[in-house]
Amino acid sequence: MIYFDSAASTSPSQDVLDLFVKSNVNQFANPAAAHALGRDAGRELEECRKAVLSAFHVDKTHSLAFLSGATEANNLAIKGVAFSYQNRGKKLLFSASEHPSVTEPMRYLASAFGFEAIELPVDALGRVEPDTLRAYMDKNVILVSIMGVNNETGAINDLKALAKIVHEYPKAYFHSDLTQAVGKIEVPYSDIDLFSFSAHKLHGLKESGALVYKSSIRFVPLAHGGGQERGFRSGTVSLALNQCLCLAVQNSLRNPKADEAKVRPLFDALYEGLQNEPVTINSYREGSPYVLNFSLNVHRASVIMEALSQKGIYVSTTSACSTRSDHPSSTLLAMGKDMETSSNSIRVSFSTDNTLEEVHRFLEVLHQLLKEVHPR
Amino acid sequence: MKANMLMIHFGELSTKGDNRKAFIACLLHNVRTSLKSFGLEAKSDRDHIYVYLNDSDPEPVIARLKEVSGIQRISTVAKCEPTLEAMKLAALEVLQEEGGRTFKIDVKRVDKRFPLDSYGITVEVADYVLDHGDFEVDLHNPDTRLKMTLRVDACYLSCHEELGLGGYPLGMIGKVTMLLSGGIDSPVAAFALMRRGIRVECLHFASPPYTSMAVVDKLKDILACLNDYQRDIKLQILPFTKIQEAIYEHVPEPYCITIMRRMMIRLAVAMAKKNKTLAVATGESIGQVASQTLESIGVIEEVTNFPILRPLCVEDKLSIIAKAKKLGTYDISIRPYEDCCTIFKPKKPKTKPHLDDCLYFESKFDYESLIQECLAGVETICFSEGKEVIKE
Repeated sequence: MIYFDSAASTSPSQDVLDLFVKSNVNQFANPAAAHALGRDAGRELEECRKAVLSAFHVDKTHSLAFLSGATEANNLAIKGVAFSYQNRGKKLLFSASEHPSVTEPMRYLASAFGFEAIELPVDALGRVEPDTLRAYMDKNVILVSIMGVNNETGAINDLKALAKIVHEYPKAYFHSDLTQAVGKIEVPYSDIDLFSFSAHKLHGLKESGALVYKSSIRFVPLAHGGGQERGFRSGTVSLALNQCLCLAVQNSLRNPKADEAKVRPLFDALYEGLQNEPVTINSYREGSPYVLNFSLNVHRASVIMEALSQKGIYVSTTSACSTRSDHPSSTLLAMGKDMETSSNSIRVSFSTDNTLEEVHRFLEVLHQLLKEVHPR
Repeated sequence: MKANMLMIHFGELSTKGDNRKAFIACLLHNVRTSLKSFGLEAKSDRDHIYVYLNDSDPEPVIARLKEVSGIQRISTVAKCEPTLEAMKLAALEVLQEEGGRTFKIDVKRVDKRFPLDSYGITVEVADYVLDHGDFEVDLHNPDTRLKMTLRVDACYLSCHEELGLGGYPLGMIGKVTMLLSGGIDSPVAAFALMRRGIRVECLHFASPPYTSMAVVDKLKDILACLNDYQRDIKLQILPFTKIQEAIYEHVPEPYCITIMRRMMIRLAVAMAKKNKTLAVATGESIGQVASQTLESIGVIEEVTNFPILRPLCVEDKLSIIAKAKKLGTYDISIRPYEDCCTIFKPKKPKTKPHLDDCLYFESKFDYESLIQECLAGVETICFSEGKEVIKE
């Protein structure tokens, strides 16, 4: 098996799995319960929260809400801030290559609640240029959402420069979906007012993620109830799940440079190897080495994906969330690619578990398939 | 008096002569099998099957029986002695149990030796009910419509009746080989056959990697739906990729679909003969797509003299969709995976293909050996009550 779909999900690491069992066995009480056992769990939860914030070096300035994943975190950040601060202005900005968990809440706010949600164009490599953002900013903007690393192409946004522009406007908050960025690229975490991520992209567990936000920010909650997670997200909190998230974050932030050094040669080898194939590479060399996206010039991506799958090689066509629909990738369209290119892309995504041998084997199999399989 | 049994009325048996007994025996067997999990007993006579409820809730039992083909109607009945006195008491009790204010009584006198005629019985019983209970008669829109059937052995009283599936008991008409693509039409066609009493075995043509193997999961879910009507179904998957590729290499684009369908029918007939089924069936509807024009059907069917059934041949797409929704297969069928009919879609398929051309194009490659190769690679999956049971 060759697993090249780590941008969709990674395998949980053994220490995370062990911790999940251990924590569930030892501290199963409800962290909100008033008795001693519950109080212990509650204390552990707060320590765990602090530990995550410390790992990002934002423990003095930011707070954190444990959530079910980046989708919920993006929703809370966008709807929560928009509803809470709509008296300051009703303008929201987001980049054209955002994940649906950002674009859809934005469109919903626009269509149902009269917000003005504006899509920021991206350049040919899929990045929001700081000058573009500057041109769109005004005093009515209350939230700007721009992702760190694009999930489909690995394009990297200059978050430091973008955050700086947003902060020239005191009423505007800067949110970033860092799902594909945490532990993979250098991120100026403390410059970002709100950021989201999922644990399962970091060898953690699914249904687990968080929103980190400047402590002064107030949200209108998505789920009303017993007031857990400071009322931003009611519902019984899983200590074990969040301890696992904490461990996954700590592991991923331990040595990002060394991890990148492991993955970069894989990206380079694949990039080079694809030069002689009938494909168009949509990623660029200075982007995230964890993601390489290319379009098939004459073949159908779903067919090649299936053929690879039969040979035990797992990649995805656009993002896993949208393989059930025939829509072209909106990210690639936003980059100015044509319909055919945008509808026939394959994403290879790595983790540090992958090897150069796997890349070579992949190239060999792909070469054979592109020769054998009937074009579209 | 509580309704403590179900009376099953047979479907289309009036046209049957000597076979009648065999049909009833088959239906009784199917009813018993389908009620196994309820632990209820069933018995038959010349006109009905009776299910003894033993105080269990009739609703789930009726719901289950509505999935058994060959049943016209299911009534919930109470039984009493075939005397006027007993009938009066029973009628009053049943109506009181029902709790409506107005009623109407319909009497059917099967036992013609009974001294009163139907009208006479109706008047006697109704008078008794009016005298002894708080009821009124309403002949047009009653709260409770009480049906009384007087037979030699007993009188049966019923206020509730539901329509069954109709058709014939499953298995009575033999079995057919059904082509299942995963699309909207074929599950509806398979159901139509089952309802008519025909056991169905399914074939699917898989062309990986051009079609996703996720289609097989889709088929499994479809078969799980159809398992309500036929408790075990066989699905055989034929590796069709090489034939597809050969077609697209040797045949001009407009003829690809025609030749593909001819190959499918050849394979299906070979499988049908091997599996000893009596016909091949498809979900085709005349005129729906290029391969389903009368001209195409003629040219495609030329490959065999084996019977080919098209249960949906005159159905509109909208009515097929409505049926698929009712059957529960629609949402499964529309999952967007490529199936064998949607890949390699020619831009201009031939709607009026010529046989001579087909024969000429087919002469350009050795399809016979490809067909043999395909038949050698068949994979079989069996489904029973919604679960995969054996993989051969």
